Amino acid sequence: MQTQEINHKNIYYPPGGILIWIIIFLELITFGAGLIAMVYYSNQEPELFHNSSLKLNTTYGMVNTMLLLTSGFFMAISVTELKKGNKERFKKLLVFTMLFGCLFLYLKGIEYHEKLNEGISIGYNTFFSFYWMLTLFHVIHVIVGLIILTSVYFGVKKENSNTSMEDVEASAAFWHMCDLIWIILFPIIYLLF
Amino acid sequence: MHKTATITWIVLLVLTLASALFSKLESKYIILVILILAALKFLGIAFQFMEMKKAHVFWKTLIIGFLALFVIILLIIVK
Repeated sequence: MQTQEINHKNIYYPPGGILIWIIIFLELITFGAGLIAMVYYSNQEPELFHNSSLKLNTTYGMVNTMLLLTSGFFMAISVTELKKGNKERFKKLLVFTMLFGCLFLYLKGIEYHEKLNEGISIGYNTFFSFYWMLTLFHVIHVIVGLIILTSVYFGVKKENSNTSMEDVEASAAFWHMCDLIWIILFPIIYLLF
Repeated sequence: MHKTATITWIVLLVLTLASALFSKLESKYIILVILILAALKFLGIAFQFMEMKKAHVFWKTLIIGFLALFVIILLIIVK
């Protein structure tokens, strides 16, 4: 495995590589625009948005935030371990990263199940249209992130691995992007209205 | 070992708890407080976990610029 250090002070080499950062900014702009549209529509139906947000379980949202932050923490320290050459410790920490990601999805699944049982689907009202679109789009990113991390795990595990440090950093950056998106989704959808 | 990452993680968890607790309060400044706490968490993840602190100043400016623009637009349109 190639573990050579990259000079991130170079404008063309941000941590993870320039391509992943272009993707990250495009994703942030997309979710940001969605959230701004949600807040804009809330001005037209303030009572509906307030009453709808009361139907959400803030505790689920908060616990899910903590699960993703914990997963991001394990991701960050796993990359540091790999840079030190501790491949075994990297793999162990990566498993914890994925485990907390799966717990996030499990809790989100419970939340979605409860909402659907109450008859609250995507067409219920404007608030829940935004809720389903934004959170489901985020869930898709978490699932893609987990697939990427699984591939990194097996890539690093191989004896003659051609996985580079930049591949690992790019995968980590994608995973942290899921944290970043959730960090702006959670307060606006669950707490603001 | 991993002192900075651990401190960042604890601070992020505390800020998450704080924003959930503050949201229960009745005040006209609560939206501002919630958005500031979210912005702090965003910066914590970007600069510490994603190692933006090591990146070129262009990328640092871009991420702070995005966040500032997002928060300002929200504060302008929210009633």
